[in-house]
Amino acid sequence: MSTESGGSPALFTRKATGLVREAKTRDALFYNLLWSSVALTFAFYWLFFAFYPGANPYVGILIAAGLGLPGSFLYAMLTQIMPRTGGDYVFNSRALHPSVGFAGNFSYCFWLAIVIGVYTTYFAAYGMGAWGRMMSGFTGSSGWLSFGDWFSTDWGLFITGTVALLLSAALFIRGGTRLFFKVQAIGFLIYVGGAFLLPILVGLFQDQAGFLHAFNDYAANLGVDHATEALAKSATDAGYAHSGFDFEMTVKSVSIFWFIFGFIYSSNYFAGEIRVTRGTHLKSMPGAVLLVVAALLVLLPSFLGLVDYDLNGMLGFADPAAYGFTAGAPAYPELMAIASNSPVFGTIIILGFAVGLLLWLPQTLLLVSRSMFAWSFDRIMPEKLSYVEPRSRSPLVAIGVMLLLSIGSTAIYAFTDWFSAVAVLLGLSLTLLITAVSGIVLPFRQPAMVEGSPYNRKVLGVPLISLVGVLALLGFGCAIGIILWDEGSGASLSANPGKLELALLVYVVAFAIYWVARAVRKSQGIDLSLSHRELPPE
Amino acid sequence: MGLFGRGGKGPKEKPVRLFYASDIHGTEVLWRKFLNAARSYDSEILVMGGDLTGKAVIPLVEKDGGYEIELFGEKQWVSEEEQIAELERQVRGKGMYPHRMSSQEVERVAALTEDEREEWFAEVMLETFNQWLDLAGERLEGTGARCFVMPGNDDPPGVEEAIVAAEGVESCDGELVEFNGYSMVSLGYSNLTPFDSPRELPEDEIYRRVSALADTAPDISRCIFNLHVPPYDSQLDTAPELDENLAVVMAGSEPKQIPVGSTAVRELIDEYQPLLSLHGHVHESAGATRIGRTLAINPGSDYHTGRISGCLLALRGDDVKHQFING
Repeated sequence: MSTESGGSPALFTRKATGLVREAKTRDALFYNLLWSSVALTFAFYWLFFAFYPGANPYVGILIAAGLGLPGSFLYAMLTQIMPRTGGDYVFNSRALHPSVGFAGNFSYCFWLAIVIGVYTTYFAAYGMGAWGRMMSGFTGSSGWLSFGDWFSTDWGLFITGTVALLLSAALFIRGGTRLFFKVQAIGFLIYVGGAFLLPILVGLFQDQAGFLHAFNDYAANLGVDHATEALAKSATDAGYAHSGFDFEMTVKSVSIFWFIFGFIYSSNYFAGEIRVTRGTHLKSMPGAVLLVVAALLVLLPSFLGLVDYDLNGMLGFADPAAYGFTAGAPAYPELMAIASNSPVFGTIIILGFAVGLLLWLPQTLLLVSRSMFAWSFDRIMPEKLSYVEPRSRSPLVAIGVMLLLSIGSTAIYAFTDWFSAVAVLLGLSLTLLITAVSGIVLPFRQPAMVEGSPYNRKVLGVPLISLVGVLALLGFGCAIGIILWDEGSGASLSANPGKLELALLVYVVAFAIYWVARAVRKSQGIDLSLSHRELPPE
Repeated sequence: MGLFGRGGKGPKEKPVRLFYASDIHGTEVLWRKFLNAARSYDSEILVMGGDLTGKAVIPLVEKDGGYEIELFGEKQWVSEEEQIAELERQVRGKGMYPHRMSSQEVERVAALTEDEREEWFAEVMLETFNQWLDLAGERLEGTGARCFVMPGNDDPPGVEEAIVAAEGVESCDGELVEFNGYSMVSLGYSNLTPFDSPRELPEDEIYRRVSALADTAPDISRCIFNLHVPPYDSQLDTAPELDENLAVVMAGSEPKQIPVGSTAVRELIDEYQPLLSLHGHVHESAGATRIGRTLAINPGSDYHTGRISGCLLALRGDDVKHQFING
């Protein structure tokens, strides 16, 4: 038994199990920073910059962060109130209806299975492929160039991506989550060092003239002399023209940064497993938003000091073959590697970036398998799906299902253009919208749950969490609006008809699965409607 | 309710409906919900698997004609009886005990030795627990349901005696009880934990006590183990590893998870193969698994959310169906 807090004791506690110290905020923060793919999104932004002439990344980042910030507070509050593994599935099942919780989570997992193809193919193209090309650019070796170019072929993308996925699954089969977390910790250090710290340092010690000189030397080794001139000519021929600041383009470019700020609260999927204080979630979710903003605001000037807006615009417009990059335009890690003028530093930068992509694969396998486990636990899905292999302690069936879906998605990205890179944002964001609605109605649907939480205050008579839910809804709603408006998002109403319907169709399928499962279970004597129905206390 | 309908290939006897929950840790609303499961789910048998009492007392300190309380890190002062009652209700809803005290009494309790304070806590806690037991008598009257209750490893001395003396519930800890053609062997003690909780036993003693009871079961194929601690390495016993300061050990960005269940319980299930094995203790490791023919269940616990994590079971012959409930 002990007393807690200084001065007059605020409470007396007994000897009892579970009274452990809270998890460190930095651990949940670490997870959110890793899973939100900051480096990839930064690369995406500049690869697609040509679609957003006049966009200002500083303003775009601040808008995207502003739209995501209320949602990060809402997720932090919901995780504190409902500390259970499963994230939005748990929140929405309890606040709205089990079918809604399942549909939202199913849709989220479905789109993660789709987007995982981006990571595998980008690992091939902008990780291994870029590294091979960089070695050729620094050494003049055609062997390295062929090696790098192969990764950008359809089969190169597919084979590399599939191998990366199989390795991720093998990690769990061989050593379970314990081995994965060890690998993840080491990988995170390589990622931060390679994809952020070293590029920032390169930006500090290199100037634009030095970069352009290095770029020409590099391209010469790839077979094109005076590459910067060739780049400018090709871009101009393709219609590139300098643009001043354009607010509309800036707002549209938010759809790219949404990849970070719409999904930076993913520790909600595991943070409920440990005892934490109220501050842990608030610091690790909104805190992650602020930290990423700070990191990007440091990385941006370092990058733009070497590769300015015009150069980025030209890289997007020009035919990459015209300036020596036959396999495709270089992403920011390769550009910073060129700027470093060193194959060693270049290797650290590109492989650091690639490790971030690689780590995302097992993280996503784990996240989705957790959701599948929750569906199975509630008997919506067959028990087999929650089977945990005793030796590795991994949900192998769920991981196997996700692995097959992921390989399929990699094939789609490698061999077709059915989905543009960021089309999945729409599907993923719709689930956020449902969670925001859950936050709004929770105090009315589950009053006891909210009253017994640290977030039981009212502001002008309105429950605090409902107000935060409204702000989150506005933030998520605006982000979805931008995705639907932006022709470059891959899911715009004007340029990509059918994508919204597709996203909604996934919900229809999910609802159908739930109601069929419910009917099947009923025939077996199990009433799924009871799973989340509150027992009357009186 | 028609929860578990007809079907299956077993004999056409009516299933016995059993509702199991555990680890409510002093949360009064959960106790009320547990008792109401008899009517809501038409359950003939209710089993509470231990850890009924809370872990903390929140002092309401007399000040300026009212009471000061620090809740969720914020100090509040209230004077109206209605406000005080509302705060007390909130505290109970979180599985803690509100206790009105003078500042002198707070200082006195703070200065007590660990053992003395443990006794004081038991007194405060038993006052509430006896009210719970009275409520059970009222709520279950006329339902025909039998309600078995046992203390868990966290429950202090006095809880077992209170259960034995109560009229509305039946004690089952360390006993073999029978109902509707089934027998149930119960033990509320856990194996040794880093928390040095009040009711812990070495593994060999757990084995000795349970096996002595299981040997007297009339038909092991219709026997239920109601053992607070789950079997070792069963996926029902996965919890964050703690260091010597009871801080969570992290592996990368996540808590390092290890099995913390009882090896004796695992051995007992492997050896006796009862029909069903009910467990609690590890809140974060809810699930169902098969150990041989035995269905082992841990519904977990979400006690501080005001929702009861339980499991509805339909027993028919040597067949059992389960459904987790978060009510």
